[in-house]
Amino acid sequence: MRRVAHSVLTVVVLVLFSSFNPSYCQAVSKGAVGNKVSLAVKPALPLSLPLKEGSVRFAIMGDTGTGSKQQQQVADLMKQYRDAFPFEFVLMMGDNLYGSETPADYRKKFQDVYQRLLDDKVKFYATLGNHDQPNERFYEYFNMNGKEYYRFTKGNAAFYALNSNYMDKKQLEWLESELAKDTSDWKIAFFHHPPYSSGGKHGSDKQLREVVEPMFVKYGVNVVLSGHEHFYERIKPQKGIYYFISGAGGKLRDGDVNERSPLTEKFFDSDMSFMLVEIVKGDMHFQVISRTGETVDSGVLANQKKKL
Amino acid sequence: MKQIYTLRAALVAVLVMVCFAFLPAITNAQEKVVKQITAAEEPVISPADKETIKTFNERVKQYVSLRSSLKAKAPKLSKDSTPEQIQAAETSLMAALRTSRAAAKPGDIFTPDSAQYIRTTLKREFNSNEKKEIRKVVLDKETNIPVTLKVNFPYPDPKEFVEMPATLLLKLPPLPKEVKYRYVGRNLILVDSDNNMIVDYMIDALP
Repeated sequence: MRRVAHSVLTVVVLVLFSSFNPSYCQAVSKGAVGNKVSLAVKPALPLSLPLKEGSVRFAIMGDTGTGSKQQQQVADLMKQYRDAFPFEFVLMMGDNLYGSETPADYRKKFQDVYQRLLDDKVKFYATLGNHDQPNERFYEYFNMNGKEYYRFTKGNAAFYALNSNYMDKKQLEWLESELAKDTSDWKIAFFHHPPYSSGGKHGSDKQLREVVEPMFVKYGVNVVLSGHEHFYERIKPQKGIYYFISGAGGKLRDGDVNERSPLTEKFFDSDMSFMLVEIVKGDMHFQVISRTGETVDSGVLANQKKKL
Repeated sequence: MKQIYTLRAALVAVLVMVCFAFLPAITNAQEKVVKQITAAEEPVISPADKETIKTFNERVKQYVSLRSSLKAKAPKLSKDSTPEQIQAAETSLMAALRTSRAAAKPGDIFTPDSAQYIRTTLKREFNSNEKKEIRKVVLDKETNIPVTLKVNFPYPDPKEFVEMPATLLLKLPPLPKEVKYRYVGRNLILVDSDNNMIVDYMIDALP
């Protein structure tokens, strides 16, 4: 009798605790999340990703659309890396086409530059930056399906492409309804303006952060990727979320990162760069490569919301 | 034995009751994020202002209705469009809109009353603690290259748009997806979402 009563009490207590807001749990585990980050900068290594079977592999590039020689150099390097690390798709952080957007511009600033990746059937998933015309959402190679914000899944990961140029109520409602029913192991949001940044020119977009961060925290978004700043930065986990800026795929703001910023975990602002990512169950491996082929950051981040 | 069955039944009953007791709380908590954010951002609206907003919404709706009828006759864009098709669709819709709205003039949608309502709303926001931060974003010198405001003309193609701070956007009357607000210096413009044609504008929207 006493044993049964004890069991009832235990079950009730467990139910009560599991009903708490997940953001509470995240706040508690915040310190542990930071400790799980492994910093392993390996300058001479061509590839520091595990290349496991069945993993989700992709590249990240931002602020690319210049049509410059440097953009082409980064694209060529991406192709070389793809031969060693066959990534399936590329996330574009916006500013996909700078300046005019005639058919010739689409070719010069995107198609011609990444033709070899397109030939390999690599899919590009774009988001709109402040330099992008909204009709880019219909462009065949941007895979936006005519939408300014959209979601897609790959393996155990869900990707949310948002339009940070115009974060209105409609988009916020859509985001919340999608996140609320999302059971993916990894939830990755990407958009142009960075909620956290150590950049001198722009810095953190606090207004955007104010409206999206509560949702990211509540619904367990793991990773947030953005561009806008023309450099690479890995931010110290904020409220249990990993933040990256990869906005130097075609433009560079040399020396723009405030080195004393309390936000920064690692940055690279002296040349252009792109990222490679591999998700293996509960781990997200990443490698950041400069235009000249140097690995400027790499590591592995544990899924902070689920034990897989 | 009978006692154990009774206790098991009691255990199940307690669990079901606890789950049901917490279900509304969990559901409410899930619904709250957007509501909390927007409730915090949306201004309190007086009955007179409600009328002003209603008129503004009607004018916007008229534009959207005209646009929809013209777009139905224009070349369609699929999710796999080529740049040539995109350009053709933009040009065609723009030309049709300009012909149909040949008599359009500034203030058709931003009527004096709605312009005043927006000015007052934005002024209140700029008086908050975030004033400097928002001013820095909206009036950024690098992006604020002079633009000639002209109804029915496109926002110049090679120029980037000034960022719409999310918190400021939530203060303004919501728009259908076919049109968007944009700042140009201290002025507010209403642009077509597909081709950036200036549908209307109001000067000195920002304090």
